[in-house]
Amino acid sequence: MKTGIWKLAFIVIGLNLLFTFIGLEFLPQSESRPPKVIKIEKGISREDLINVGEEIVFGKGQCMVCHPVKPESGMRAPAMSGIGAEIEKEARARAITPEEHVLEALVNPSKYIVKGFEDIMSPVDKPPTSLSEGEVIAVAAYLQSQGGKVTLSFPESLPLLEEQARKAGGK
Amino acid sequence: MAEASISKGIVKGIIKFTFILGTGFLLLALLKKILPAASVDGYRFFPFIGSRDWIWVVAQLHLNFAAFVLGVPIFAVTMEFIGWRRADERLDRIAYDFTKLFTLAYTVTAIMGSIFLISLPTLYPKFIDYMLKILGPTWWLYLIVMYFEVFVCYYYFYSWKKLKEKKGFHIFLGILLNVFGALLLLITSAWVGFMTTPAGLNADGELLSRWGAIHTHMWLPLFLHRFIANIVFGAGIAAAYAAFRFITAGTEEEKAYYDWMGYTSAIISIGVSLLLPGVGYLLGVEIYSFNEQMGIQLMGGFFAWLWVMQAILIGFILFSINYYLWISLHKMPGGERYFPYVKFLFIVLLVSYAVWLTPHDVALSLEEARRTGAYHPALGKLGVMAAKNTAVILSYLATFLSFAIFRMSNKEPSVTWAKAGHLIRAAIIVISSVGVLALGIASYYVSAAVRVKVLSPIQFSLFILGIAAMFILDHVMYKGARVIGEPRWGRMPERSQYALIAITVTFTWLMGMLGYMRAGARQYWHVYGVMMNTSPDAYLPTHGVASIIITIVTLLFFVLISLVFGAIIKLEKIAGGRNG
Repeated sequence: MKTGIWKLAFIVIGLNLLFTFIGLEFLPQSESRPPKVIKIEKGISREDLINVGEEIVFGKGQCMVCHPVKPESGMRAPAMSGIGAEIEKEARARAITPEEHVLEALVNPSKYIVKGFEDIMSPVDKPPTSLSEGEVIAVAAYLQSQGGKVTLSFPESLPLLEEQARKAGGK
Repeated sequence: MAEASISKGIVKGIIKFTFILGTGFLLLALLKKILPAASVDGYRFFPFIGSRDWIWVVAQLHLNFAAFVLGVPIFAVTMEFIGWRRADERLDRIAYDFTKLFTLAYTVTAIMGSIFLISLPTLYPKFIDYMLKILGPTWWLYLIVMYFEVFVCYYYFYSWKKLKEKKGFHIFLGILLNVFGALLLLITSAWVGFMTTPAGLNADGELLSRWGAIHTHMWLPLFLHRFIANIVFGAGIAAAYAAFRFITAGTEEEKAYYDWMGYTSAIISIGVSLLLPGVGYLLGVEIYSFNEQMGIQLMGGFFAWLWVMQAILIGFILFSINYYLWISLHKMPGGERYFPYVKFLFIVLLVSYAVWLTPHDVALSLEEARRTGAYHPALGKLGVMAAKNTAVILSYLATFLSFAIFRMSNKEPSVTWAKAGHLIRAAIIVISSVGVLALGIASYYVSAAVRVKVLSPIQFSLFILGIAAMFILDHVMYKGARVIGEPRWGRMPERSQYALIAITVTFTWLMGMLGYMRAGARQYWHVYGVMMNTSPDAYLPTHGVASIIITIVTLLFFVLISLVFGAIIKLEKIAGGRNG
């Protein structure tokens, strides 16, 4: 009977150790920390602005959760590659500027849904993403850079962003 | 202990709970006075291990025990009812044994709850103040319902023998106990639901509608998921208890009884767990509809590898239960006729397991995301949900077949259409398997929305329909069947009992991990998108660190639950001594 109890204890402890071992050795080890505030200097060059935007898209913005890099079947949201050209095309069709279209897509995403996709995106300037104004412009500039002409800059594009945020009923 | 008078037992129970709860409140007030004020952003720090890890361990331990004491009464009263209607003493005994288990576990649950009650407001005062402001009345309702629950629990337990002649009333008490238990679960699910998918607030986080704050996206699906999972977990612990008693049994009669108890509990656990993917799906749909980003983050973001871990764990559970059922064929006269089929079931399980374990490519760095895109370059097609859903359903189907084979292995149908019945049975298996597989392949060619909203539910429904059809067919076909021989309960090798223990350990670990993922979905928010966590603990640890904490919780739980098992044996000996 005592041997049986020891065997039971061995199984309980052994399995726990096995699962811990898998967790420690077979799963990737990285922490998920709250996003850091990205400081964007006024007058930042377009190139640097695009780089900051890219960092946000692949990092704290968590855009890659839904937007794949390249188009693939069953994707939830438009792919990043070539999105700048798409923005220009859609803006022309809507008779608005590409700047208005891309900023609206970020702070008021329900306003225009690309055909074939659903209304699933939350405004990036609101919690939980809560990007700052500079960060939103940087992301928009990065999106333009994907096959389109980058026309946004910081802080010059701030009034445009504020206008879109106002239309969305925000700040 | 069951010999004590009903009123004495109830009064003792209520005094014990009031003492535990009162001590909690008293210590809370005392700590508030003794400890230095909280930091400006509303935190105190637990020494050495930090506040987050302390709360994590205490909360999960409390949840484990709560799941146990809320889950076991559901099937205890069901067994009692069936035993009463069929005049089956053995079912009444098992129901009483289950009741002994959860009544004793109540005390541990209350102690853990009290430690949680002291810890959370002491370490996170600002967060708790906010929660009380929004959902305060539900906390007082929780306390009232808990007292009703305690009252009925002790009444149900202490009146078992005394109300033997009034079984209907006793069963009514058992049902009432479950109603209060469900109410408690509804209230606590509302708290978690609010933290994860908040509603009823204005843009500044001020309360607009209390009902809105209660009736969040997550509330009811979470309640339903926990309700089902509690039964699975409770039955798993009961199976572990039976295995423990089987191994320590002194007589053949005891061995036979605990073998049967272990089998019954394990089948309840695995049988009810068939519903979990369905209710988990409902929960997922609600999370996605609240915030798509949260849903995807949970399913495919930081936690993606923990779903692989989940596959490892559930696969292990399925292998263990199948192994247990295959060994069980030895105790069934006629069971040997089915040995040749075991290897096919094993192959189905193995292949499904391999597909299920295939990871969806998860980019952990910017560079990796650029290089590989969303899927693994080689195994991508097997790592997506279309393949995984299919693999999971097929392995559950194989498990159901193992169970069906075991159940019928000592019988020969005597109906005239037995041959046709066997053919229909085979047709059901083939149609449901091929259908599940075909829908899985079709899932590759449709959008995610169509896969999630249309094909996956059809796939799951086909599986449920398949097993329901087989169940009904077997029931009709084996009515009045020739029995080759009665099951030789108790004649099981010890290793079969280790499989039962392994299932329970794995399930406890799995519950700890899924609890962590559910809480981690909020990332660095106390209340998602409303109240940010600004403490130094506001991050998700590595999967390795999380595994260590889940293991600590699981081991502590097993130490405490074995004390409960030990206490029952001791009390039985005392009662036996008195009677002797």
